[in-house]
Amino acid sequence: MEPEAKQSISSLSTPIAIVIAGALIAGAVYMGTSSGSTANAPQPQDAAQQTGDLEQMRVISADDHIRGNQDAPVKIVEYSDTECPFCKRFHETMKQVMDEYGKDGKVAWVYRNFPLDQLHQKARNEATAIECAGELGGNDKFWAYADRLYEVTPSNDGLDPMELHNIAQYIGLDMTKFNTCLTSEKFTKHIEDDVQNAVATGGNGTPWSIVVTKSGKKYPLSGAQPYEAVKQLIEVALKDK
Amino acid sequence: MRSVLKTLTAAHSVAIALPVAIIVFVLAVWLPNLRLLFSVWTDVSVSLADKISLSLSLIPAIATNFTLLSASYTILIAVLTGINAALIVHLIRTRAVLGGGAAVGLSGMATGALGVGCAACGSLIVTSLIGTIGGVSLLTLLPLRGGEFGLLGVALLGYSTYLLAKKSTKPLVCEPELKP
Repeated sequence: MEPEAKQSISSLSTPIAIVIAGALIAGAVYMGTSSGSTANAPQPQDAAQQTGDLEQMRVISADDHIRGNQDAPVKIVEYSDTECPFCKRFHETMKQVMDEYGKDGKVAWVYRNFPLDQLHQKARNEATAIECAGELGGNDKFWAYADRLYEVTPSNDGLDPMELHNIAQYIGLDMTKFNTCLTSEKFTKHIEDDVQNAVATGGNGTPWSIVVTKSGKKYPLSGAQPYEAVKQLIEVALKDK
Repeated sequence: MRSVLKTLTAAHSVAIALPVAIIVFVLAVWLPNLRLLFSVWTDVSVSLADKISLSLSLIPAIATNFTLLSASYTILIAVLTGINAALIVHLIRTRAVLGGGAAVGLSGMATGALGVGCAACGSLIVTSLIGTIGGVSLLTLLPLRGGEFGLLGVALLGYSTYLLAKKSTKPLVCEPELKP
């Protein structure tokens, strides 16, 4: 190759690399948003407004699933997807938190649903199963079901739907009532409300948590953070009177 | 190759590469929780010790909040950015020129940043950037659920390192301008 040609190719390499990178990103964005996309069902991120305002968090009430002291000075509201591997990991972290802070009534854990349908198609049905467990067996069965589900699921849509029945049986629910509940649309709105609330508060992935202090101050916590980080944040929140 | 290694292991290069790599790595790990860090650091009721402790406690999230793939390319991007920075400074000091390598490096960093985060569950920067038009939809179309951006970033940074290294080892001679 002629030296000049070489020089010319060399000088073009930078813009070519940038154009390729840009084209790849633009192509992916276009495909992700085109009407021909196979994954164009309404999603949390498709919500009209994603304000990201923590104050939009739905007030914790008796309708919530609360683990630990309902009057705890610190409450951790977790928006979770049962098929997200990071939620599975964070579920264990939260159990560890409750072992340390739950016994003294310092921390309460509030669970809300945030199934990411386009990533995990089985998650919404599993959210229904957890809600059914809560309705049929109360708060204890809700948490027993959730604990068992997170324990047995391999994540990323790997859970055999039959396991939902096995878990119900394992924790001692009335199977007839559970099956009826699971096939009903009883919790469709409730789960969707949870999803929309997660989005309204700024959640764009799971697990998404909000740590609420006694005075009502709110701290956002995104992802499966290590136990030490959650512990540090709880210590900060406990100091807020 | 030997001269590039010599340049990179020189004290002044290490003094640039190491801090840059550490800063990029820490920022990448903190990225999902910049909002938390902002609210804690701007909260006057939180002590300085608590602010520092909380910030440091988030760093091990590389092991809990990243997949093996995303953790690997996050570390690689940090290391390559450090090397790029050291080579750029070396080129400026010795030749007062940069060439295309630096631009490729910048595009690599930008692309890599798009892939940083929890690739499995939607918390990528890209989903935040295009959140209102369907970020999760985009992820479902990508086999690696967004890891592609990180890998592309590594490739561009690797190419940038190659260009910068090549330029830094080029003999310092006067070249006549070639004409047809």
